[in-house]
Order: sequence, then structure tokens, then C-alpha cells
Amino acid sequence: MLESDMRSILKCVRCGTCRSVCPIFDVVGWESSSSRGRMLVAHGVSQGLEVDEGVLNSLNTCTTCGICEQLCPSGAAPPKVVENTRHQLVLQGKMTQAQKDIASRANELGNTLGETGERMAWLGESAKDVREKADYVYFAGCLGSYRYPELARRTFDILKRFGVTVLKDEVCCGSPLLRTGSDPMELVSRNLEQIRATGAHTIITGCAGCYTTLKNDYPGDLKVVHVSEFLADRLAEMDLKKLDLKVSYHDPCHLGRCNGVFDAPRNIITSICDLKEMKNIREKSRCCGAGGGVLKGYPELSQELAKRRVGDIPEGVDYLVTSCPLCRTNLKRGGPEVEVLDIIDLMEMAME
Amino acid sequence: MQKTDLLDKLQEIVGKERVSTSAAELYCYSFDASQVRGMPEFVIRPVSTAQVADVVRLAWEKGIPVTARGAGTGLAGGSVPVEGGIVLDMSSMNRIIEMDLDNLQVVVEPGIVQEKLNLALEPYGFFFPPDPGSSAMCTLGGLIANNGSGMRSVKYGTTRNYVLGLEVVLADGTVINTGSKTIKSVAGYSLTDLFVGSEGTLGIVTKAILKVRALPRERSVLLASFENPELAGKAVVKVLSSGIVPSACEILDSNIIDAINTYDPKVGLPRAGAILMFEVDGTESAVREGISMIEDACSSLATGIRAATNKKEREEIWAARRLVGAAVSRLHPMRTRVYVGEDIGVPIKEIPRMLHKVSEISEEFDIPIMTYGHIGDGNLHTGMCIDVLDDKDWEKLNKAADKIHRTAISIGGTVTAEHGVGGARAEYLELELGKALDVMILIKKALDPKGILNPGKMGV
Repeated sequence: MLESDMRSILKCVRCGTCRSVCPIFDVVGWESSSSRGRMLVAHGVSQGLEVDEGVLNSLNTCTTCGICEQLCPSGAAPPKVVENTRHQLVLQGKMTQAQKDIASRANELGNTLGETGERMAWLGESAKDVREKADYVYFAGCLGSYRYPELARRTFDILKRFGVTVLKDEVCCGSPLLRTGSDPMELVSRNLEQIRATGAHTIITGCAGCYTTLKNDYPGDLKVVHVSEFLADRLAEMDLKKLDLKVSYHDPCHLGRCNGVFDAPRNIITSICDLKEMKNIREKSRCCGAGGGVLKGYPELSQELAKRRVGDIPEGVDYLVTSCPLCRTNLKRGGPEVEVLDIIDLMEMAME
Repeated sequence: MQKTDLLDKLQEIVGKERVSTSAAELYCYSFDASQVRGMPEFVIRPVSTAQVADVVRLAWEKGIPVTARGAGTGLAGGSVPVEGGIVLDMSSMNRIIEMDLDNLQVVVEPGIVQEKLNLALEPYGFFFPPDPGSSAMCTLGGLIANNGSGMRSVKYGTTRNYVLGLEVVLADGTVINTGSKTIKSVAGYSLTDLFVGSEGTLGIVTKAILKVRALPRERSVLLASFENPELAGKAVVKVLSSGIVPSACEILDSNIIDAINTYDPKVGLPRAGAILMFEVDGTESAVREGISMIEDACSSLATGIRAATNKKEREEIWAARRLVGAAVSRLHPMRTRVYVGEDIGVPIKEIPRMLHKVSEISEEFDIPIMTYGHIGDGNLHTGMCIDVLDDKDWEKLNKAADKIHRTAISIGGTVTAEHGVGGARAEYLELELGKALDVMILIKKALDPKGILNPGKMGV
């Protein structure tokens, strides 16, 4: 175990603050499914606790949403401990089938979805607008490329007027591997080589998972902005109409709580229409349940979290808006009464 | 009986999904927030009194220890199964069964978290006053089992003052009801009072009738700064003898002030040797008068007095105060708060003397001791942070804690004012209670002759 992780575990006084906010524990109810429990399990593993299904389930049911770390009075960092412990166990060949699938698909196909089709097909006719050199690169991500290709194309169509290009052979950013304990370096290198070739100084992404990975696990000289940050700074140039709508906004954990991007999406929303906040927002926002490999590894549990997050949607709104395709996918599985939109969808509506 | 047969029977009672023998699970349930450890053989999450009674009856027949647990936030090992056996995790029994607000009472299951009860009561203008630092995490069952209290006990008393009646599963699985829904009843021994604070050694609480209070119309917070904790202690005695009953009266020493400001910089407490945090609640005029009386009583001793200007500031102060016990760990990257010797209580007149003794103990064992707590009722939390990988630090810590406990007893105090005895402080009960401990042992033998309920706790 890394010394920093051991120190983090030793900081934990087991006060239970995290247990009272951990969204997974809220559903599962067993101590090993709480952040406090995972810290204990990670400690146990370092002390010789046998790695069986119970240990793997404890560690792998964390969405790494980070609300535990946000509220921890002692200053412990459970998501980091969870990710690093997953990594240590993966190195020993101890992992779930879902972890194996995520790693093998990403490394073999360049995406975690099992897709074999042409990744950049989403560009369609906009392929002609891809430049060799640019200051900015739009990183569409696996979900953008394969699950929301229209959204990716429309995002690029908005961005290209600002001198933005895309990578011709983009692959998964590596986020799912990092979150689930595998080594993302091959993917990181492939993307990085292409980013360098464009000469770009800034990467723009519309996905919270890509955002946190590009920002925190790629070289620090690359500036990373979320598409909402990029466009919030350019609202004056966007000619957006006011819409007679009331929407609510879900903060993706890896964009908001983990990286502090709270205001940009809200600024865009309030420039277009009324915003009525969800029950838990910003630093205390509740996880949609998809991150950390949980959607793939524990789909029913993930869906239950989504249902509970959907319960935070206020009455009387027309749409729920978010700024991450993974959150969007899972929130839809939570069965909301209103449609879940990406923030770009809302902007498109204001541009029509 | 073979372990597998026992597992089958337990699964028959509560269902397969509610029994765990997974090594990871058992490991997690071998801890609470104290230093006491004990590995269970089974963890069970019952959902009804009938299930609890059936499990306990089976354990009674087979002579297996049963330890009840709420959120596992205890600081004395009360929920740690030191002799193995079954842990009953009561946190799934978390319903509010009845909100009988015309009678100023609620009926609850033990697994509900304190704050959740108060969130449910707030829209109706009521609250359940016992307010421990762990209110967002701890369960009412844990509060009842430990007679917990917290920041508002100086005015509102402890959990005991709010328990009208209990449903309890006894050691042989018999279910009894104690007390009633009446405010007063002298029908028989007060068994309710016997079970409150008995830490699961006499029975397992499965339901409670609790008194609630109307929310005060107004609350106001005053911070008074002092050169040192002893002067603050003198001010407390002065305030309490002036006739005002604050709804909270907390002391924070200089390290604790730093810890709060580090945890939440918005709070911005003034730098001082010690701060007293007073809260007064009631009608608008009573609050105004109370604050003014406290200001007068403190004025000759304090170096500065400041009032919290609005509700938001007041709530931020209390939120940070609630978590400071753990937040002191943030003051040094290699040190962690360890809860031992942390819950003494002394008669209020002895507060300055005890504070002086604590600083002597700190010097004697060369270990920094931070002091905070509910000074208004003589309850001091002495916080020590050590490098938990350093054996010498542990030795100093344990010696200092031992001396803190013995000193408190020697000046007429107690080793635990609200956190409980558990396994952590059992060794001091004979010294503190004398022959009264023998009576406790007799009661334990009468109610649990096989000694299956939370064995190894409370010195019984």
C-alpha cells in the first residue's frame, strides 16, 4: 500500500460522517459498502485480510463520487484509497469480471463500450472542418462518440467557430481504467501524441469523467476546460434566445465536487431560462450512481442510486439538465418524469 | 451446534440477505470509533422486533453473545463484539412509527439517525433536544443505550429525560414494554431508566416512546474569548450562578479554535487562549435578556465578546463545532485524533481545577491535550492526537488518559459523562462506583444470567 494511502486511512477516526452521506451505503446498508467500511477493508487487505468476493464488492461498489472526502472532518481521502487499492489488487490479478472487461475493451478497441465501429463517424459532414493544427481540441469521449453522436457533432459545430479541432484517432481517455484500478498509460499516450501534434494548448470536453482524467492524469501543461466553461465565457458571441422554460441541473461529481466546476453550467442555464435547483447541489450534490465502474459492474445498484437522485428533482421543471453523458445515461435509467438534457441540447434550443 | 447449522437458523429468521459471514463484513463490524476491537461471527440486520426476539432467543439457547449496534459511531467500544458471536446491526429498523405531537411525543424504532428525526419534526415546529456532535450519524438506539447528550444538555438534559417508554427484547427473547405514553407514571420500578444507559447489556431496545419539545422561537449565539481555559472555566461558574440557563455552553481551547478555522475557514473564530460559545434560546425578549446577562457575567474575565450576527453564521459555528472532535486530526499531517480519556465530567465548581490538572498532565506526559466540550455541565472532552504508528506515542497517550480518568474521579467526577463505558472505561467503574458496581452485577445476573448480552462491557 502507498504510504499516502496508509496515512489517509490512519487519519480516519471512524466517526461515521461519510457513512451518513455515502450514496451506495444508503442503498446497500452493510457497513462494508460505506466509505468508512471501504477504508477499513483497504486497511484490512494491507494487513492480510483475504481478498474474496466480499472485499472486491466492498471496494468496487464505490462510485468515487467524493462526497465522503468533501465532508470528512479528519481530512481522509477515501476515493483515492479505493482507486489505489483496486489498482494494487489488479496488479495481483484480483479483480471482478467487470474490471477485466473494462480494461480489455478499452485497450483492444479504444473504448469501454465494446464498440467496433468507426469512432469518429459522429463527425459526419463536419469531418471537413477538422483541422490539422488548432489551439483547442474537442475531446468527444467514448459516450459522445458512440452513444450520443448527434450531441458530439452539434457540440463540435458550435465549437468549431472558435478555432477548435478534434483528434482523428481519439481513443478512450483512460478514465474507466483509472477508476477501476487498471493502467491507462497506453490510451493516454495515444491521445497525448495526437494532442501534441495539433499544437493545442487547451482540451475541451463535455464529459465529467474525461474532464477529471484529462485534467488530473494528463501532463499538467495542458489546459482542460469543460465545454460549459468554454462556452460560458463566450455567451456574448452566442446570440442565445431566452426560453420560457424552467429547468433543474444535476452536478456531475467529477466535474463539480471533484474539480469545482459549478458556476459555468449554471451561468449558461440562467442566461437562457429559469433554474430551479435540485434538493442536493454543488459540493453536496448526490451521485447519479454511474461512476467508478459501478454502472458496468453493479447495474441494478447503479440504477437504484439514479432513482434516488431523480427523487431530488424539484416539482414544476420542464427538463433536468446535466453536463456529463454518463450521468445523463444513468439519470434516464432512474426514470425521471422529465427529459434529461445535456447542457448543449439546451443551448441548441436557445439557438434555434 | 455447528456454525453452518446456526447460519441456517439465522437465515431462516431474517432471510439470507440479512445475515453476513463475509470476512470483509465481519472485519468492518469489529470496529467502532474507539480503540476497542472484537471480531463477530455473524452480522445480522433485522427489520422487526420479532426478528430480534427470535435471534436473541436462539442465542440464549445456544449461549452465543449478542451485541447490538447502531451506526457504530461510539467512542467506547459499546457496539464492538469483544467476545465474538452475533452483531445485531439495528440501523435498518429506522422508522418513525408515530408522530403524536398533540401529546408532545414520537414513537420510533432504534435505528433512525438523530438528525433524521429532527428533520422530520422541524416542519411541525418540534425537536428532539439531545444533540451530540454525531447527530448526523448516530442512531437513537445508540443514544438511548449510552444515555447520550451533547451540546444542549446544559439546558435540556440528557436522552434519559426524553424517554417515556421502551420496547425491549430481554436475554431470553421475551419482549417487554416499559414506561407508558403518560408524562408521569410511578407504577413500579422505573425500568425505562434502568435500560437507558445500559449499553445493550440488559436488553435490546426495539422501540422507544420519546418526548419532543416545541422549537424555540429564537436562538442567539455569543462567543467570549479568554486568555486561558481556566479563566473561561471561572466565567462559566459565574454565568451559571447568575440565574441564566444557556441552551449551550461550550469551551474551545486554542488548538480547537485552530482546528475549527482549518476545517471551515468561513467560521473565522477569533484567536484566543480559549473561547466560550454560549447559545440562548426561547422567546425574543428572553434571548435578548439572557445574552445581555451572559455578557455582564463574562465582562470582567473575557478579552473579547462577539455575537453571531445571523442564522447562517450560527449554523456554521455549530456545524464546525459538532465535527471538531475528528477535525483536530487536520492540525498535523502525521497525527490522528485518538479517542481515549476523552469524556470526563466534573462538578461545575471543579471545572477550573480540572482544566488546570489537564494542563499539568499534558506537561507531565509531554503530550499536547486539547480541550473542548460541554463545559456548562462539567463535561470536558480532552483530545489527544498521536502518530498512530509510533508505539511511544501510544504509551504516552494511554498513561495520560489513565491519569485524566483517575484525576476526574478523585475530585468527585466521572470517567464518562456521555460517551459510555463500553470496553474502554470498564476498568474504572469499581474505583468510581465502589459497592454500587456490585449492585449492577446483581442486576446483570438477574436479567442476563447466561451473560450473552454485550459481554465484556461496563464492568459487569
